Amino acid sequence: MWDGMINGMLTGISTTMIPMNIGMVLFGCFMGSLIGMLPGLGPITAVALMIPVTYGLEPSTGMVLLAGVYYGAIFGGSTSSILINAPGEAATVATALDGYPLARQGYPGKALAIAAYASFSGGTISVIMLMFFAPMLASVATSFQSADYFALMILGLTAVSAFAGRGGVLKALSMVVLGLMLATVGTDQTSGVQRFTFGSLELLDGIEFLLLAMATFALTEALSIVLKRDESSDSLKPKMIGFKSLKVTKKEFKQIAPTIGRSSLLGFIIGVLPGAGATLGSFMAYGMERNIAKPEDREKFGKGSLIGLAAPEAGNNAASSGSFVPLLCLGIPGSGTTAVMLGALIAYGIEPGPRMFTESPEVFWGVIMSMYLGNIFLLILNLPLIPYFARLLAIPRNLMVPMILFFSLMGVYLVTFNDFDILMMVFFCVAAMALRLMNFPMAPLLLGFILGGLMEDNLRRALLIYDESISFMWERPLTLGINLATLFILFFPMLRSFIASRRNNTDKTLSAS
Amino acid sequence: MLLFSMAYGSLALKIPLSFMAQNEFFTSRTMPYALAVLGMIIALLILVMPTADPAGKRSLKEETRGMDWKTAILLVVGMIVYGMLMKWLGFIISSILFLLCGFYILGERRIKRMLLASIPLVILLWFVMSSLLGVYIAPGELFYTLGVL
Repeated sequence: MWDGMINGMLTGISTTMIPMNIGMVLFGCFMGSLIGMLPGLGPITAVALMIPVTYGLEPSTGMVLLAGVYYGAIFGGSTSSILINAPGEAATVATALDGYPLARQGYPGKALAIAAYASFSGGTISVIMLMFFAPMLASVATSFQSADYFALMILGLTAVSAFAGRGGVLKALSMVVLGLMLATVGTDQTSGVQRFTFGSLELLDGIEFLLLAMATFALTEALSIVLKRDESSDSLKPKMIGFKSLKVTKKEFKQIAPTIGRSSLLGFIIGVLPGAGATLGSFMAYGMERNIAKPEDREKFGKGSLIGLAAPEAGNNAASSGSFVPLLCLGIPGSGTTAVMLGALIAYGIEPGPRMFTESPEVFWGVIMSMYLGNIFLLILNLPLIPYFARLLAIPRNLMVPMILFFSLMGVYLVTFNDFDILMMVFFCVAAMALRLMNFPMAPLLLGFILGGLMEDNLRRALLIYDESISFMWERPLTLGINLATLFILFFPMLRSFIASRRNNTDKTLSAS
Repeated sequence: MLLFSMAYGSLALKIPLSFMAQNEFFTSRTMPYALAVLGMIIALLILVMPTADPAGKRSLKEETRGMDWKTAILLVVGMIVYGMLMKWLGFIISSILFLLCGFYILGERRIKRMLLASIPLVILLWFVMSSLLGVYIAPGELFYTLGVL
């Protein structure tokens, strides 16, 4: 195994060190930081917006670029959280809790520098773990059968829904089903039969995943800014852009170092779990640090605590690298962003899964090794350029929103050259907007859509192998284990709330008597 | 969601099956059937357990109060018109028009700023795609109709 890993690492280094790929890592980090910094635009949008740029590139180059955009966007989101208390997406909300108060106290530079160091450390620690865990899991996963894959996909989709938050599980599940339904549109690959095409030639090949991703994220997020009269992007006060110093003292470093280590480890583990992702990673790291902090440090949380800033930053970056484990090893995305990346992999003609480890090692290892470089680039790029990047936040809303809409529409049109796709995007955008207003999450929809085809294939194959019996769901211990995990994930929140309500009722009865 | 699932399920009934496929256990209809049933069950659960969602405590009316519907609708209409004009006016003209309209809808009135933010951007994108990346972007059909091209 070690020989394989060393060979893989060498393959990854040689892939990453191609000048074109170095340039793409740099470009990806830069663009990710820029897009992620814009309020309302998160990593899913950033990755979706950059996919058209990758068409025509080598798969390894494209994936290296997209990975750079991903962690660049996570970092970019923290900049807008710290400077104007406008998190680009949920993963950087926890950063704003202490980052913004620190900036308001007159230390925006220090806050951004700590965020940069924590992100760098979290990302790097996580990549080291990814390097060891990914090949191990991939080698185990080569023994997986269709039944296991089918069960794993259900686990992934259920986990995404279960982590949607208390009460939102059913809505998230319904979005998964909707995504799976949309995936059935087009020609059935096995039988050649047309499904739900309504006789339209444009729908014969199904719905383009990029179209759906752009419509449900980029377009709706831009429209949300307008609908909710989000003025946060309107004008960043120039005085906020003046930075005193980016310097962090030795004492401060010593204070945040253990936090970064713990949060990175926790973030990575959470990132590996299907469906958890960077948001949970950042909040759990923040929560853990607050719980274990000394009372005097705990009081500073929410008021500009350095620990409170470093923890979610290390946590979300580590989780975003961790989420590559299920993507690269099993071909199952753990989050909305990795779902978009999975779509890109499929578009490159690469079948994601454990075989990618042996069949496309340059992609597998190239992505992993490029992350080292990406984290260094992010640090080098962001620290000196932060004051200039932050000026992007001053772009007025009335110019920014039409440009986002334009780039989203163009991102799809310049790939398909079909004006019908623009109309279809608008349709999906309006539908997604309506669903969002009713608090239906969009990431599970995208995940269901991407996995729909693969799920149907694996289900068909599993049924064929098991003589059309659904006993494949429990006959193999591995499949049974995965299915039990799915049931646990699905019913644990319900069980917990049931126990909590029982306890409340008992307390009320006791107090009444 | 319930209505959608029901409509989806009824459309799934109309998926054509070949003679051979009619005797198979797993056909092109199997997955859609399963999804339709699952969709209906989940939709019913959402309806039956409305209090399960804490965000649902706020009505849609409360949720959408004070929203700028007019601007959002105008932008959506702008996108539809853009999609329809693309074929006739071509990429450059329709894109510039879309951006100018978008800026105007959002309240920008400084002509110079609007032109500077739209024309160079579209032409740069067109140049990168057609000249640097060698992607052919067809001109609008209007130019053929008018005999310009």
